[in-house]
Amino acid sequence: MQNTKGLALEVRLSAYIDGEVNEAERKELEQLVARDDEARLVLEMLKAGNAFGNKAFEEFLHDPVPLSLVRRIKQGPGVNPKSERVVNAAPRQARLRLWPRALAASIALLLVGGSTGFIIGKTGNDGAAPVDMAAARTWLDDIADYHRIYSRQTAEHLVEVPAGNTKIESWLASSIGVNFALPDLSDKGLTFEGARLLVAAGKPVAQLMYKDEDGDVFAICFLKSRPGTTDGKMTESMRDDIAMISWQKAGAAYVVVGPSADANLQQLADAVSATI
Amino acid sequence: MRPAAESNEFRRDLVSVLPKLRRFAMTLTRNAADADDLVQEVCERAITRNHLWNGEGRLESWIYAMTRNLWIDEIRKRKVRTGGGTVDASEQDELSIEASGEKAVYANQLQKMILSMPEGLASVFLLVNVEGHSYREAADILKIPIGTVMSRLSTARMRLAAMITETTERRA
Repeated sequence: MQNTKGLALEVRLSAYIDGEVNEAERKELEQLVARDDEARLVLEMLKAGNAFGNKAFEEFLHDPVPLSLVRRIKQGPGVNPKSERVVNAAPRQARLRLWPRALAASIALLLVGGSTGFIIGKTGNDGAAPVDMAAARTWLDDIADYHRIYSRQTAEHLVEVPAGNTKIESWLASSIGVNFALPDLSDKGLTFEGARLLVAAGKPVAQLMYKDEDGDVFAICFLKSRPGTTDGKMTESMRDDIAMISWQKAGAAYVVVGPSADANLQQLADAVSATI
Repeated sequence: MRPAAESNEFRRDLVSVLPKLRRFAMTLTRNAADADDLVQEVCERAITRNHLWNGEGRLESWIYAMTRNLWIDEIRKRKVRTGGGTVDASEQDELSIEASGEKAVYANQLQKMILSMPEGLASVFLLVNVEGHSYREAADILKIPIGTVMSRLSTARMRLAAMITETTERRA
């Protein structure tokens, strides 16, 4: 508790509002406000300033946090934000440093692309291949592309079958061969908007779409797969502004997709895994 | 808990406080570009020093204090770079950074009004009134005496109240 005696009236009343004065001073100030119009006016102004300030500061929280920053924090050790920040601080220097990396990346992509093409060609004739880790990367890439497009659609084009249609579960279950229960994520602040049937890595995929209060779109996608040794293990990945958490469970592969700036995607994935 | 898992959890916690951290940084720097740079530097430092976080109290308080210290360092460097010489530590709370101008990027008018308040007012108001820190906690984070917290807080409140009138008159 603070001793405010001798300080300016607005300072004393301000401390009174915060409950930072002792009992004797609290009573004294209450009596003062009761009998003195000026003191009462000052108190009202302080309170009005509080309310206005609270509202204004609330606005700050609606500003998007730079995605690059979120990514750097999430990706952890080995990432040097300062060296990456050079891109903004000194573009010319950054370009000089970046071209060898770009060349190396191009070569790496060429090699990866070539070997991936070889693998796809090789397994394409092997019959129904399970959704293993290599294939899962491919279907996740497709899902990321879908999400990037669909999440920017207006409400009427966001989904194929809107929420409220009682046949969504049976339709998708029979289409992809995976039984599921529609997750209720309202306690996570998400509203179910509806569903789509997609094709990813050549397989039918169920996509359940949700929106949060800010209008950000989240999706749960899943497809049939062979049970693997990684059952239940969650893997987080990022593709630009999209974050994904994927796992396999009981003959199906799942992924939860959302904005990479969302800090609670892991909790969301846990909830989906437990209820779907 | 394994160190790696501990570090992951810390990074998750850090991401979850990012919007609040950025808001606090804005009250110090009073422009978005500097705030983003500051937040980035703070996060980098917090991750490398996360073993120093004991998990007690509010993570924000620890991060905020680090943010304030880094910003004071930055101001000091700028003063030296611009020919102002070394800065006396006793002056560091009163250093002036231009709050308005073409460089500043504000999300909206309300933010602009808040950030146009004299330096030091917005930070105290945010910590105490918006985020519920005690006077002692705010004083510790900002490294200022409690008496300064009290006077800045009442000044901030009165200025904010005056802004209501300005806003109303502007609309009319």
